[in-house]
Amino acid sequence: MSIQVDLVKGAKADTYTIPPIVDGTQPTRIVEGYPQTARRTPSRPLLRRPLTLSELTGPLDLSGRLAATSADVAGQSARRALGQLIVLRLAVRDEDGSPIAGTMVEMWQANAAGRYAHPNDSDHAPLDPHFQGNARVQTDASGNIEIRTIKPGAYPVPGPDRWWRPPHVHFSVWGKVWLSRVVTQMFFPGDPLNEQDLILNAVVDAEARARLVARSVPTQAAPGDALVFEHTVVVRGKRATPTEHA
Amino acid sequence: MMSAVSMPIGEATIGPFFPGAYVDAGANDLTRWQGRSAQGQLIDIRGRVTEDEGVPLQNVVLEIWQADANGIYRHPADPRAKHADADFFGWGRAATDADGAFHFRTIMPGRTHLPNGTLRAPHINVVVLASGLMRQLQTVMFFEGNAANATDAVLACVHPAAFQEALIAKADGPRKYRFDIRLCGADETPFFED
Repeated sequence: MSIQVDLVKGAKADTYTIPPIVDGTQPTRIVEGYPQTARRTPSRPLLRRPLTLSELTGPLDLSGRLAATSADVAGQSARRALGQLIVLRLAVRDEDGSPIAGTMVEMWQANAAGRYAHPNDSDHAPLDPHFQGNARVQTDASGNIEIRTIKPGAYPVPGPDRWWRPPHVHFSVWGKVWLSRVVTQMFFPGDPLNEQDLILNAVVDAEARARLVARSVPTQAAPGDALVFEHTVVVRGKRATPTEHA
Repeated sequence: MMSAVSMPIGEATIGPFFPGAYVDAGANDLTRWQGRSAQGQLIDIRGRVTEDEGVPLQNVVLEIWQADANGIYRHPADPRAKHADADFFGWGRAATDADGAFHFRTIMPGRTHLPNGTLRAPHINVVVLASGLMRQLQTVMFFEGNAANATDAVLACVHPAAFQEALIAKADGPRKYRFDIRLCGADETPFFED
């Protein structure tokens, strides 16, 4: 199933397709030790449907519906959040590696003590009055954003099978079409909790798991006051070659 | 330009702490866009999201995508895009409250065109994001009483046919519809591959 899409203004129309997901590259839906997954995951198999305009179109510029915020989550001077200052360089690409320019990216995370500024988080770790821990930023013409924040802390997941979430940052991203929508979590390289995390390890394929871990930029190459991490979010969808026209 | 082919990134749950600030006031109202009113018949859609055994779920994020009153998407892939209603964006977001309840205000979508010349029944694409859902869930809402439901190419994929009823929003008063989403259980909502 394919459809004509003029993806880039001025470029000739391309065919945009949604390739099937490769086994193991997405998390298993039911995770042992995370009981909510079994109560919320459909018991019947998902249905296959023909892809029509409804799935192969989608919102392209959400800034009129979702207000963008500052890309500085850490704050400045007296209002700076506690914790290790970091810069996250996020690249949003389609499956051909083409940048997704002007798309919305939402991020949210715990503070340095591992506490979310959210009414659902009843953890005993302290809140930081200078840290809300969320931002909404549109990618630039190169499909990139840069967010200044602090490194989130690890935190325990309450319940009988108490386990710890490693430091991670949530990202919500839109691609060019409805089926490109993705919500994902970014992990930090080298954290020993990564190997024990039920959510990260729900992705069975090791290479796919590695794609969820950011790359640390050598400090010599990032001389500012923050540690720098780079991460790429590839959203679903690729251009087919013209010979693939259905 | 097509050299670097890479795999889509792994999804993850939104977790229990999806920020309330991300459900902007008015994001569930598709009838207004940049201060102007969309064409078409205004409708209200209300429903509840429940997990297994009918337990209501709070802080579930629902996003919807639909065509305008004439069945046109605001997207370059729609061959009729240049005739799309300039005052209709087609996308909205709502979150469930403590009772699992959500509300969208939108317009009745028109019938979209398939390349083979046939028409879809009026429908709204719905994606469900929630704590405990490792991956998004995709479903589609249709409307009670629309004769085109009988020939819709996507609704026809739901077997046995009795399960199709769960995808049809029920009339609940003038211009009001009810659409409950049951994630898991004997009466669960049909979901589609994403």
